[in-house]
Amino acid sequence: MSTLTTNAEAVTETPDLSILERPPQVLNNRDPHWVTGAVCSIVEGKTPLWWWIGFSISATLAGIGGACILYMIVTGVGVWGSNSPCFWAWDITNFIFWVSMAHAGSMISALLFLTRQKWSISIARVSEAMTVFAIMCAGVYPAIHIGRVWFVWFLFPVPNNYGMWPNFSSPLLWDVFAVTSYLTVSSLFWFAGMIPDLAVLRDRATSKIRKFCYGIVSLGWLGTARQWRHYEMMYVLLAGMTSVLVVTVTTIVSSDCATSVIPGWHATIFPFYFMVGAVYSGCASVLTLLIPLRLAYPQLKDLVTPSHLDKVCKLLLFMGSCVAYVYIMELFNAWYSANAFERGAFWERFHGLAAWYPITCLSINLIVPQLFWFKRVRSCLPLVFVLAILCNVGMWFERFMIVTTSLIHDLLPSSWHIFHASIVDILTATGTVGIFFTLFLLFIRFVPLVNMSELKATLPGSQAHHATEEEGNRLKP
Amino acid sequence: MSDHLSISEGHHLPVAGCKNESLYAIGARFESPDALLRATAALQKSGFSCYECHTPYPVHGLAEKMRLPKSILSLLVLGGGVSAILIALSMEIIPTSFIYPLVVDGKPTNFSALPQFIPIVVALTLMIGAVTAVIGMILLGGMPRFNHPMFAWDLFERGASRSFFIVVEALDPKFTTASVTELLQDQGGLDVTAIHQETFEEGARDLKASDKE
Repeated sequence: MSTLTTNAEAVTETPDLSILERPPQVLNNRDPHWVTGAVCSIVEGKTPLWWWIGFSISATLAGIGGACILYMIVTGVGVWGSNSPCFWAWDITNFIFWVSMAHAGSMISALLFLTRQKWSISIARVSEAMTVFAIMCAGVYPAIHIGRVWFVWFLFPVPNNYGMWPNFSSPLLWDVFAVTSYLTVSSLFWFAGMIPDLAVLRDRATSKIRKFCYGIVSLGWLGTARQWRHYEMMYVLLAGMTSVLVVTVTTIVSSDCATSVIPGWHATIFPFYFMVGAVYSGCASVLTLLIPLRLAYPQLKDLVTPSHLDKVCKLLLFMGSCVAYVYIMELFNAWYSANAFERGAFWERFHGLAAWYPITCLSINLIVPQLFWFKRVRSCLPLVFVLAILCNVGMWFERFMIVTTSLIHDLLPSSWHIFHASIVDILTATGTVGIFFTLFLLFIRFVPLVNMSELKATLPGSQAHHATEEEGNRLKP
Repeated sequence: MSDHLSISEGHHLPVAGCKNESLYAIGARFESPDALLRATAALQKSGFSCYECHTPYPVHGLAEKMRLPKSILSLLVLGGGVSAILIALSMEIIPTSFIYPLVVDGKPTNFSALPQFIPIVVALTLMIGAVTAVIGMILLGGMPRFNHPMFAWDLFERGASRSFFIVVEALDPKFTTASVTELLQDQGGLDVTAIHQETFEEGARDLKASDKE
């Protein structure tokens, strides 16, 4: 701001610059020390009762899900509702749902970092955590849906005594690499960004065990100028690479469907379709996680401000509108293609046996995000929370609509067959929700929720004054 | 090392670490990034080279003041990325075109299959690039290191999340306790302390406690 003011004074009389003023990053003029205390107190304080309740519920769900997976492995994929012609159903639906949800996290932490959107700092850590855990949940499915899990190593190009190699031209193999790379890169981005904050927890630790554990994971970080120099370079590089992943992973996942000949799948719009849907559902998940977190830990209210949530809502609105556009284009393309099977697939989608899935999906995803045009909706957080959950439900139905309703109306009408989910399908899906929340609750308890070092660097007065003055003098005419 | 010991003994600075061990450095605390940058400039002007600034967050302009070169990490990541491209391409081309040609959907297996190799090349390049970036950052930053003389300085431990520290190492050719202490104090350095190499003996802690009093 000081540069701006000096320039303005030099030219003519001072114009009103208040409109350029950004909303504060941290409310109530908090100083760096307060930020450290507020964030660390969540990890250092006593475990609250709600945490134990939430943890036991989600761990139980995860346990049931794990038991279902074990049952599926020892019995066979017949325990799922999937059957000819619907060979992919809840497994791939949930895989796409989870891996897509991850994308908003990467976008908020990487793409918004590269574009210097400072507001994203406060919510980046939570979003990244969501990304990592969502990919872990997604990763459950590809491994088990192959049926004979003990052959999972066939997916990787491992030299073997059969002399066999995987088919590198298959999108299913691209998927393996895309998801593995996504999990690796986003975990590294998450962990590496956390090292300085873990060092703060190490320094503040009072018990020996805590000091030892945080000492190990913070790798002996000292915050020297040399370390920061390499760290900042690494952060930019990782942000760049993660930003590429935001686009490539869903593109590759969408080619699983798009490169096949099934009507309803065989569309060039799919990469964009999957990408916007991904960021849309991810923004909804970020809101679903942040709003209760602010309630549970009131000190976060100054860090994750209503203005930050408002911006996520706007991102959700934008992506939701893109999703609406894609829905309309998809229908238009089906009609405009003049392909009887393509037209038939979409006619059956909305009139067939499973019509209620697409109708639920469209009615939620076309209406709910549009409510975020209104400031009154965006500022009413309980409403935002409910709407965000609805958006995710809508997105799950969208993934189901794409995967299942296309498959059950394939090219051979005699094989058309309605899909019914089995109890194992349902419990495995709730199991992944359990896994997600178990990991997320552990994250709340053991890791700083906000990137303290990055946030402190942007607080007013945190940078040297004379550096900016020098800069200002240089810019003076 | 024993030279440093004899220098420090003549001086009455608060001591961190065990006094029987060799002197590692003299450290000072600063309350603002401005003070830190001024002191760094003064150190640089006096010709010191073996010193380190510890900050709770990256301070803009500090690396320039310290005349640190640009991080070579980007070069390493470029190397990692290029080798990943070569690894991925050979991993795909050798089986598909030579040792295990598999014709599915009539897709080509010769070099005209190159476009279908791109997704895996992208994925592997990003993965290996990211691994190089993180491992490179850790190693270039002198980590992992779990014992460091700085950990013996309890003031650093307590203040690392909010204060700024300058530590002038005893290895510096221009180092004398008197000159460094004077310089740091002139620049507004607080709690100027002689930091000794860390030991885990009980005696070291007792000594530290008595020094504080």
